[in-house]
Amino acid sequence: MSFIPGQPVTAVVQRVEIQKLCQGDHLILGFSIGGGMDQDPVQNPYSEDKTDKGIYVTRVTPKGPAEKAGLMMGDKIMQVNGWDMTMVTHDQARKRLTKKKEDVVRLLVTRKSLEEAVKHSMCGYPKQ
Amino acid sequence: MPAEVKQEQSPSNATSLAMMQEPQEVVEETVTIEEDPGTPTSHVSVVTSDDGTTRRTETKVTKMVKTVTTRTVRQVPLGPDGLPLPEGSSPLGSYTDSIDRRYVKNGGGGGERYMTPQASSTLTRGYNNSSYNASYNSEQPSYGGEPPDAQYGRHYGLHDGYGDVTDNYGSLSRGVNFRPPRYPYMPNSYRPENSYTLPIRKDDYGHVAQPQVPMGGSTAELNRSQPERFQAEPYGLEDDRRSLGGEEEEPYELEPDYSTAGRRTLPGTARGRTHREPLRDGPRVRGYPEEAVVVEGELMDERHPYLHGMYSAPLAQPERGSMASLDRMAGRRSPSVDSMRKDPRWRDPDLPEVIAMLGHPIDPVKSNAAAYLQHLCYENDKIKKDVRQLKGIPVLVALLDHPKSEVHRKACGALRNISYGKDHDNKVAIKNCDGIPALVRLLRKTNDMEVRELITGTLWNLSSYEPLKMVIINHGLQTMTNEVIIPHSGWEHEPNEDSKPRDAEWTTVFKNTSGCLRNVSSDGAEARRRLRECEGLVDALLHALQSAVGKKDMDNKSVENCVCIMRNLSYHVHKEVPGAERFLDPSAPQAPGSTAMQRKKKDDAGCFGGKKAKGRKSGDGDKSYDTLDLPKRTEPSKGFELLYQPEVVRLYLSLLTESQNYNTLEAAAGALQNLSAGQWTWSNYIRATVRKEKGLPILVELLRSDSDKVVRAVAIALRNLSIDRRNKDLIGSYAMRDLVSNLPSGQQRPAKNLEEDTVVAILNTIHEIVTDSSENARSLIQAQAVEKLVAINRTSQSSRETKAASHVLQTVWGYKDLRNALTKDGWNKSHFQPTVAATPKSAKNGKPGYDDTTLPLMEKNQDGYTTIDHREKECKYKAVDPEDPTEHEPLKNDTNRKHYIRGNRPAISLVDACDVKPQPVDSWV
Repeated sequence: MSFIPGQPVTAVVQRVEIQKLCQGDHLILGFSIGGGMDQDPVQNPYSEDKTDKGIYVTRVTPKGPAEKAGLMMGDKIMQVNGWDMTMVTHDQARKRLTKKKEDVVRLLVTRKSLEEAVKHSMCGYPKQ
Repeated sequence: MPAEVKQEQSPSNATSLAMMQEPQEVVEETVTIEEDPGTPTSHVSVVTSDDGTTRRTETKVTKMVKTVTTRTVRQVPLGPDGLPLPEGSSPLGSYTDSIDRRYVKNGGGGGERYMTPQASSTLTRGYNNSSYNASYNSEQPSYGGEPPDAQYGRHYGLHDGYGDVTDNYGSLSRGVNFRPPRYPYMPNSYRPENSYTLPIRKDDYGHVAQPQVPMGGSTAELNRSQPERFQAEPYGLEDDRRSLGGEEEEPYELEPDYSTAGRRTLPGTARGRTHREPLRDGPRVRGYPEEAVVVEGELMDERHPYLHGMYSAPLAQPERGSMASLDRMAGRRSPSVDSMRKDPRWRDPDLPEVIAMLGHPIDPVKSNAAAYLQHLCYENDKIKKDVRQLKGIPVLVALLDHPKSEVHRKACGALRNISYGKDHDNKVAIKNCDGIPALVRLLRKTNDMEVRELITGTLWNLSSYEPLKMVIINHGLQTMTNEVIIPHSGWEHEPNEDSKPRDAEWTTVFKNTSGCLRNVSSDGAEARRRLRECEGLVDALLHALQSAVGKKDMDNKSVENCVCIMRNLSYHVHKEVPGAERFLDPSAPQAPGSTAMQRKKKDDAGCFGGKKAKGRKSGDGDKSYDTLDLPKRTEPSKGFELLYQPEVVRLYLSLLTESQNYNTLEAAAGALQNLSAGQWTWSNYIRATVRKEKGLPILVELLRSDSDKVVRAVAIALRNLSIDRRNKDLIGSYAMRDLVSNLPSGQQRPAKNLEEDTVVAILNTIHEIVTDSSENARSLIQAQAVEKLVAINRTSQSSRETKAASHVLQTVWGYKDLRNALTKDGWNKSHFQPTVAATPKSAKNGKPGYDDTTLPLMEKNQDGYTTIDHREKECKYKAVDPEDPTEHEPLKNDTNRKHYIRGNRPAISLVDACDVKPQPVDSWV
């Protein structure tokens, strides 16, 4: 999923809809994120492109809401409820995911296996 | 999971586009919305074909996506918080939706204007429509679709608009002041183009110049007075360009020059040179798309050629006859700008040309060139270097004093990007042409928030280079304090008794400025003195932090910067503030004024014997044991005195309790560490106040932090705090287990895997706690520490760890009453001796003397350990300003911090500076 700044990005994305789980006073999603514009992208073990400052899923709680929804470790989060997550700071992403008044988050994520699957199956797909 | 896989073009951009469009639409609307009831005649309304709408939308999408890429960044963070995107879950939906909206709003406006020419499809249409402008304006609200061709015209207009600039550029020597009564003379075949160009400008100009006047009205008036220009009006695309580029002011501000510029070309040609006209127009339209691109943020396309070193593209336009121009005009109908751009006959201006444009007499050219430079320099060290070598930096700096805001803004933007990065030569180049005073001057002068952000961002970048720190202090300290820190902190010099204190505003300007001050505050004693004595600075920073605590908003970067400045300014207060000697601890045996060095030497002599020192120390402790009277002040303290007043303890403890930001935690602990070091009255007060404010449990709790540097700062703070006898007892009773649990078991590191420096710091703290306190040594044994200490002593790979552990073991063995218990546990004397291996290890270390950080505190240095934050931060970020189409550098941690070793700093500050890599943050959600 590397890209050149300023160039349009083409990504194969999957929708993941996670119903937040009530845990005490908190609503939790059951995964953790790493990355962000303010973080050192080199330390992100999941990105292919080590300059990618996107938000990545770093851990997923077993049997948690995120895992049930199909989120996987290493997924790159492109959007949260329609909000862009490719150019945000870590904290902005965290806040966007933990809105108290939203109990469902809809993510668009991309992962390598998706892209490969699509590459194989959709040869004729018009590439923009 | 419905693995609904879809291919999206730039999904992120798309959404952000949706979000971004909002504000811009508003802007658009204000411009085009003029529904002047007085000018209702319209042929324009004629055109509303659905078909047109669809088509346009499609092409538009591609275009938009590209457009957005660079702008995404700035808008996303600022995105209106509650703005629910329609069909929020479906980005695609929102995307198209936003585009649609956009069409209705801006597009509608732009298309409409434009539509007219299309609709009429005759050249003379414009003539007929005497109230042309007015009519189209009135049209707008009801405008639903656009003619199929609209988009072409729009794109065309885009270039065309820019073309004017190019034109000027291309024809530098052409009469700049040329006045243009050329319309009437225009050959028919040429007319459309001309008419397209000019009217727009006028149109916009009208808007800008008289923003209060309904546009239809004003332009109509204009038209009446100058009927001959009228025909130009239909070309309303300038708006479009704006809507695409988000350029709000530029066209307006530039307008006067601009419009003349636009017309300038033609006059000569008007009659005799028709055939040459196209040539000039060629570059106008084509040579400049570059600029247009910049404005739209679409530059990337154009950038690559640069990256590939195509600096010296041949000049764009070979001579071409009028036929060529006709071709081109036909080409304008091509479906997208892209195809036009790929026209091999166009080219980008090369770097020397762009730099030359900075000196162009026409202001819009200057500002566009600067904006383009900013874009080119974005994350491209090669271009930055080239700009420097082509002597572009002095020109940019000179533009900072330009009266037009558009010009100095863009110049500042370019300088910000140039100043970012590892290449310090760029920073030095800015300094060498007096860029720092120029920036500061502009900061004083401008009220434009965006420009202020750019200035302070540039200063932040510059401040990361050590040799520039003092220059920044000399030129900018008081100005930054007065212009930014004080107003944004909410602090008031003379608080109005009626109004309640204002809160700090965490603006970007404040963040940048505090980041800059944070960097310069680490530049040694003189820098600290200047900052402490800078009027209002300490007061304002404290007020801002207090307001952060009050609002429970303590995780942001501005707070981090403020705490780091406070911590740095607290370093060595007991030695450096004026009159400090008056406060030297009277119980200390030395005469006031004797230096720490002397004391240190004296104690070193008795280093491992230590008995007499112990006696003294416990005496001290008993004396200050809870009998501490805080001095009563007759007047509130201010300025640097605030740094070490016991009142700050509560502030730091609040930060330590509430903040989630590791850097803030570390800095707050570091501030307490600095304040509790040293032998003077105020550090006695601070140590006691921490205890009274129940700060010790807070600190102990933080020993469990996941962050290495927080643990380290807290451990050293505890060590300094335990100079107070009562604190030592408490820490020994309650902190021992947490301290010990941070220690590795020999080779096997605990889960935390703390760095060597942290382990050494903890060992030294333990040493300090068990010294003079057999009770604490007993706690240590009970905490199962001996096993770990022995393991470290024998097996650690680190000589410093070995040495520090060995000190602790020797001290423990020194308590004869404990030996019995120890031997029962199976230990014997040999376990508490320095290992055979340890001695050679430390010898190999090459340090004949003592390794400062491993030596016990009191024997080594009466002052205790203090730290200073040396981390260099640079500020780079993506655009945050809606008007600025070009890219900015992204915000990221600078991992290439520089650490400077200075003889006059205690070794511990180096230890502190060692954490080069920020730990990646990982948040559960």
